[in-house]
Amino acid sequence: MGPGGFSLIPLEGGPPEFGVSAFESRPLFPSQIWLESSGQQAAWTDVWVTNHIAQAVIGAALVIGFWLLVSRRPKIVPGKRQFVGEYLYEMIRNGVARSIIGPQYRRYLPYLLALFSFILVNNLFGQFFLFMFPTFSKIGFAWGLAAASWILYNGVGVKRYGLIKYFSKMTMPHGVPKPLLILVAPLEFISNFLVRPLTLGLRLFANLFAGHLVIMVFVVGGSWLLWSTKASSPDYSPIWNLAGGLSLLMSLAVFAIELLVGCLQAYIFTVLTAQYVSSSLAEEH
Amino acid sequence: MSDPKGNDGDGFTALSYILSGLLLYGGLGWLADHFCGTGLFLPIGLIGGLALGVFMVIRRFGASS
Repeated sequence: MGPGGFSLIPLEGGPPEFGVSAFESRPLFPSQIWLESSGQQAAWTDVWVTNHIAQAVIGAALVIGFWLLVSRRPKIVPGKRQFVGEYLYEMIRNGVARSIIGPQYRRYLPYLLALFSFILVNNLFGQFFLFMFPTFSKIGFAWGLAAASWILYNGVGVKRYGLIKYFSKMTMPHGVPKPLLILVAPLEFISNFLVRPLTLGLRLFANLFAGHLVIMVFVVGGSWLLWSTKASSPDYSPIWNLAGGLSLLMSLAVFAIELLVGCLQAYIFTVLTAQYVSSSLAEEH
Repeated sequence: MSDPKGNDGDGFTALSYILSGLLLYGGLGWLADHFCGTGLFLPIGLIGGLALGVFMVIRRFGASS
């Protein structure tokens, strides 16, 4: 802005970094940072121990601990602790596993329940102090889960039908005229074996990544506008502070939406995995 | 979700059919054009792939009962 005017946003000396670079993992042990700063190559074994690996492991430990706690010494008339556990368990058991997979749902229930609670806890990390970062906004973690589900639904199909029959079942749908089948089979192959895991992983990652980015913009950008803008700056205007305050207020709404998205994505991932398993088991297509 | 049996997948399944139809047959058409020096196969491949994708979506999600 020229002299005399003012800009809606500060143009110089921007806020602290809150872009995509904030998603980079930091090594957990400071010795490694020291090694890197002195120009030495850090040992391979502790490069991968980052804060995000650590929070995924803590999430897994929390899930295991929770289910051990709520299933310990069950009583016929459940107490509060048992009630919470059974409520969550039955939500996945009846609402997802039994209604989608059907009568043989029991074998897949442990995986679905572990999947749901693990994703849920890791998504909630995005809203909790100490972590403040949803683990699955790192795409590698999402690919890991997508791969696990991919192996499960394909393994189940191969075990049930044998490799060749399962493969033809998944690529050649019934009720398609013969000449079209040649054109349709590659489509089915791509859709069932390649696009499914791709969208499974991407959907989880993209929702949490975008959500966390928006939260960062609102909170870090807002608080910077509110407190760190210099009144002595030549093009300063009080609008900056006003916008910062509004942005901080709005961030509460964004947090609430992220809470919803986190729960929803955990549920959707579980439902889709169950649906893929059920389509592998189904007789018709 | 209380999807009836056989109606597996979500909206992404429909999207993936259409996208993979376009990409696969459009890509094949582009390759054919590239090696034959023509400009005819890409539009044919794109339209054919799209039509196949739509056909697959209708076959899977259309009312069959």
